[in-house]
Amino acid sequence: MGLRFSPERLVVGLGLVALGVLGTLARSGAVDLLTVVHTWWPASLVVWGLAELYNTFAARAGGRRD
Amino acid sequence: MTTPVIDPQSAAVPPALPPAPPAVHVQLKSPGLAFLLSLLFPGMGQIYNGQPAKALGFFFAFVSAIYAVVEINPMPFALFIPFVYLYNIVDAWRTGVVINNRGTSAALPEEDVAESPAWGAGLIILGTVFLLHNLGWLDLSRLSRLWPALLIVVGAAVLYRSMRKGNRIEKGDGSSL
Repeated sequence: MGLRFSPERLVVGLGLVALGVLGTLARSGAVDLLTVVHTWWPASLVVWGLAELYNTFAARAGGRRD
Repeated sequence: MTTPVIDPQSAAVPPALPPAPPAVHVQLKSPGLAFLLSLLFPGMGQIYNGQPAKALGFFFAFVSAIYAVVEINPMPFALFIPFVYLYNIVDAWRTGVVINNRGTSAALPEEDVAESPAWGAGLIILGTVFLLHNLGWLDLSRLSRLWPALLIVVGAAVLYRSMRKGNRIEKGDGSSL
């Protein structure tokens, strides 16, 4: 616990990885990239929010320890 | 008898001072340029001010508001577009002024925001609502009839924060007397 990171970089990194995976799957015809992105893009907001909350509580826990 | 010779120059030298801290290079910002950049596109002024998280937030808020107007319902989402746009411009200018006044990096105001769980919780709620809508489990166009309730929630939150702030000031005054 107490590990702090940059939430927006985490989301951008995960988003790029997800886009890369989806792009690869779309090239092989397994999924329709636009449909998947159109449906699931709000999941990035949820991940971002979770990362922000984790960071906030990690900072508070660190502050109390200090 | 010989009198000691005192060198007037060495006598005038004051005692050695502790070494000065290393000079911190402070990059001042131009609030006007931040204002203009945010006028061009939401979030650009925040990037110039060195606040990428805030820039991303404004960008997503602006795009989400346009998306919601087109895909869901014009009201109340149409109200968010000018709000986000104008707030982004004012924020860029104000942060530029704050950075110059404090003479520090932009990390301070951003950390203040990051310490509140409201930002993270808001993102989760927004993401969940849009996700449920996209999956067909929630009809936002029906829900949007209840948009005045949003004003009630926001108003109540503003009142609550104002009252909490007032209480803190009162407690502070009481302890200092």
